[in-house]
Amino acid sequence: MTKLAIQVDNISKLYQLGTIGTGSFKRDLHRWWSTSVRNQDDPFGLNSTVENESQASHIWALRKVNLDVVEGDVWGIVGGNGSGKSTLLKVISRIIRPTHGTVRGRGRLSSMLEVGTGFHQDLSGRENIYLSGYVLGMKRHEIRRRFDEIVEFSGIGQFVDTPVKRYSSGMYVRLAFAVAAHLDSDILIVDEVLAVGDAEFQKKCLAKMQEFTRTEGRTILFVSHNMQAVSQLCKHILWLKKGQVVASGPIQSILNQYSNQSQTNQLSQVWQTPEEAPGNHWIRLKSVELVPQKETENALVDVRTPLTLKFNFWVCQDELRLLMGFQLMNQTGECVFDIMTPFTDCKRGLVEATCEIPGNFLNDGSYSISLIAYRNSWEDYFDYQNCLSFDVEDFRGDGMNFTGKWWGSVRPKFPLTLMHKPENQPLSLSL
Amino acid sequence: MNRTDKQSEWDWQITNNTRWWQLDLREVWTYRNLLARLVRRDFLLSYQQTLLGPVWTLLQPLLTVFTYVLVFSKLVGISTGTVPPVLFYLTGTILWGLFNDVFTGTSTTFTTNADLFSKVYFPRLVMPFAFVSAQLMRLLVQLALLAAFLIFYSFRTDVTIHLNAWAFALPGILIVVALLGLAGGLIFSVITAKYRDLMNVVPILMRIMMYVTPVIYPMDIIPVKVRWILAINPMTPMFELFRYGLLGEGTFTSAQLVYSLVCTVACLLVGLFLFNKQKDALMDIL
Repeated sequence: MTKLAIQVDNISKLYQLGTIGTGSFKRDLHRWWSTSVRNQDDPFGLNSTVENESQASHIWALRKVNLDVVEGDVWGIVGGNGSGKSTLLKVISRIIRPTHGTVRGRGRLSSMLEVGTGFHQDLSGRENIYLSGYVLGMKRHEIRRRFDEIVEFSGIGQFVDTPVKRYSSGMYVRLAFAVAAHLDSDILIVDEVLAVGDAEFQKKCLAKMQEFTRTEGRTILFVSHNMQAVSQLCKHILWLKKGQVVASGPIQSILNQYSNQSQTNQLSQVWQTPEEAPGNHWIRLKSVELVPQKETENALVDVRTPLTLKFNFWVCQDELRLLMGFQLMNQTGECVFDIMTPFTDCKRGLVEATCEIPGNFLNDGSYSISLIAYRNSWEDYFDYQNCLSFDVEDFRGDGMNFTGKWWGSVRPKFPLTLMHKPENQPLSLSL
Repeated sequence: MNRTDKQSEWDWQITNNTRWWQLDLREVWTYRNLLARLVRRDFLLSYQQTLLGPVWTLLQPLLTVFTYVLVFSKLVGISTGTVPPVLFYLTGTILWGLFNDVFTGTSTTFTTNADLFSKVYFPRLVMPFAFVSAQLMRLLVQLALLAAFLIFYSFRTDVTIHLNAWAFALPGILIVVALLGLAGGLIFSVITAKYRDLMNVVPILMRIMMYVTPVIYPMDIIPVKVRWILAINPMTPMFELFRYGLLGEGTFTSAQLVYSLVCTVACLLVGLFLFNKQKDALMDIL
């Protein structure tokens, strides 16, 4: 029979919303009077009469979460912002108490919820290795035994006696990760620590994490937004949404479902009548939509997928010289490109515009589209910002083991080739 | 799946309630290396980017004593009996400094360590314990200073130092004073974590405490009518005993000593249990 390392049994966590502080003393007194002296229900508690969610004074960060983790398993915990991932890790790490439920566990547990836990800026690397090691629960002999390994892994070399505030941020992160990576605990809890550091170091971290599980049979709980990392590392996934478990189990069954759901796409907008449509006295939008040319129904929009942008609009004047265009913005609000038609004579009625964005052009990321229309040679304009938004997922293909973020605003597949050039003189230099 | 299978022997378990009596001091002991490192950290940090570094450990009481001698002895003219004012104020300042530093330092345990506490679990009591230990280390240095002064004065013919057997109570006195400070600090650490503005109360409270403790005046210059104020202060007999043991002057009764000890144990238990009970709940509001 397989042994469980962690059993999360019906965990719920309630947080109080609103300002804690001013007025809370009065409320504390009121609560104490009601619950302790008069033996009534908590007037601000769960059974309070506030039903409307927007007015509720509490929020369930976790609700009835169950999870059985078998020893040696690697679990990825995924979910959007505020889904309760970090709260769950904190409950399992004993940092916060659940409101209901029990967590049981077997073996020593260490958590890496940030980079450089227990580090002090003014102390040397050597001091910080010890301090951080002890804070994370290492024993004295473990740190001594692993000290050289930690220094080597972090690559700080001769800077080991320099205060860490003089380190470059890269060195700091490497040292911090190195300490945590050499924890000898049975259960390791990692919260998006891999999101820092340069690509090369991320690769090293990932390799270290894989080594953890493969050769030493440790249990790992891993929270990350990096789907590539999750799918490489984890065999099981727990998917949380608004504090509740959407699905949990082996990775294959959940990964696609999750990725589809997590894309916060608005791929089309349609208006029935010109009256309700956005626009002005000379133009009204009828519809705007982005059609991905996916191979199967459930496939994700990834970097290979060609996209077609279509928009329809009503021209509300008899004669109109019109220029239409759209801009594609990335998630930081930078314009990736700006495309427009030449000025064209249009008549009253419906007009359709289409534009094809080829596959293998956009990099992975989140994008939004803004429309703009000019009339009569820049006389007047109408714009509709962020009318569509969509995500492009990453795709690396086989044989591409690089897992860092792919650089660049765009990711075109221009042919890049290598070929042998015949030379008259043979290469005498042997390297 | 059967969730209550035969997995009876779990190593640990996390539930929703923190019990009052679940004071796991054995767990704190397993983190003694961390405690030692934290003490070391405090010491190393006192060196970092300073002009005089740890010399301040000695300069602080010296400068304070200098001021007290100037103001209370020379200007105000408070009598310190047969004891030289410098020795009188030095003993008072060192002992008071211990209480004051321990109380003030541990009273912000949650607020100063909020970042660390929200990222990693370890027994929270390690933090205040480490702070007290660091203060006791500092105190050893200050006691060396006091010893130097005692030796210096013992060579002077016009002063007689009545060092007596009560001096052996010295370690006990220091521990009692440190524990009283710790008890108060633990209670206030919970209060200031919940209501931050009450941090402002701590310095005022310290000042009031100092005036109802015989730090800058001997017990016997206080009118008998108001002596009860000092008598209910568990620190009073400790200060009087400290001076009696080292300098031969001080008034206390054995009943007062017992009262002081009982008070210390009671306050410490209240502090420890309150801290222990609230430590998890406070994490939600830090």
